[in-house]
Amino acid sequence: MLKKIWTHYFIPQERNNHRATILKPTFLLFFLILYLLNQSIIKSLVTLKPGILGYSSEITAQKVFDQTNNERVKLGLEPLTYNPVLSESAKSKAEDMFSNNYWAHNSPQGKTPWTFFDTAGYKYSVAGENLAKDFYDTDSLLKAWMNSPTHKENIVNNKYQEIGIAVVNGTLGGIKTTLVVQHFGTPLVATTQKNTTQKSNDVVEPEVVQSSETVQSPNVLSETSQNLVSPLILSKILSSIIFIVLVVVLFIDGFITVKENIHRLTGSTIGHIGFLVFIFLLMLFNQQGSIF
Amino acid sequence: MIIPKEVKQKPLEYFSLLLALIIGFISYLLIDNTPIRLWIVSCVAVFYFGWSLYHHQKRGDLQLSIIVEYFLIILIGIVLIFKTLF
Repeated sequence: MLKKIWTHYFIPQERNNHRATILKPTFLLFFLILYLLNQSIIKSLVTLKPGILGYSSEITAQKVFDQTNNERVKLGLEPLTYNPVLSESAKSKAEDMFSNNYWAHNSPQGKTPWTFFDTAGYKYSVAGENLAKDFYDTDSLLKAWMNSPTHKENIVNNKYQEIGIAVVNGTLGGIKTTLVVQHFGTPLVATTQKNTTQKSNDVVEPEVVQSSETVQSPNVLSETSQNLVSPLILSKILSSIIFIVLVVVLFIDGFITVKENIHRLTGSTIGHIGFLVFIFLLMLFNQQGSIF
Repeated sequence: MIIPKEVKQKPLEYFSLLLALIIGFISYLLIDNTPIRLWIVSCVAVFYFGWSLYHHQKRGDLQLSIIVEYFLIILIGIVLIFKTLF
């Protein structure tokens, strides 16, 4: 009985007019509705119960901090020290991007990255900023930064001594996302003291290193994103299941109809497989997130 | 390797489809710009729909049920990728 139902839905045969039932328009519509329903549920959960689903479950402050320092150590540089004042500055920057709806180093109101350093009370001799959004795992995030010369320059800059990280969830351009801001710096006092011992009459002018956006996630600022399931991953899993089911059944359908030389009034199985595989590959190879 | 009779009979039609899918895929990967990526996926989808109409017109079996089938397959692909990635 179970076998009969199974074959009726998945195997082309006389009983289903030589077309697997799940490939018929009614079932295709069902898949579409199922997916849209799933998206609505995820969206509702994110909005109504923000503690249930996260935006970027894989990214944690500790991981980003550790991996950033790993990259430095690999090149023989000193690891950066975590500075909560810099994290506060980074958090203010992320919140400013959400509240003013922009994705850039400089805000539409004219605030530069250094405005946030100053507001947080961090006096720097050198400073830098890295930004990222839409990543859901730390490895991809670090890889993206390290592949970008300007971001890499901040991560492995030997002028920096300290780092602050913010991971903040919100809505940017109508899309829910996670912004990660990394602020690098070296305190002015430390440099001044060092230089004083060498050249007591020198005045040390603050130096600003070209800003580039990096992703970092400090524990203190990203509690809600830890140990949660990313909606993006949930969507990708469901999409993948739907694609795999459809493509496998299309393969079986194509194989049987070619083997038994069956002529039917349906769409091209090969064409459908090609189009669905194209979409599936785009989803697989799509790079997550963006850096600035 | 089994090559379906359908492909053997219309090699150019299937080759053009394959070419469009490959060009679409490579362009998507090379261009890191969301609006252009949306445009690329939409173009491939429109091409596939046009291809299906031509293909079945030539075969002489272009019927509403077939058009609906293509429309739904394309809609599934478009909705899934747009909702998941953009």
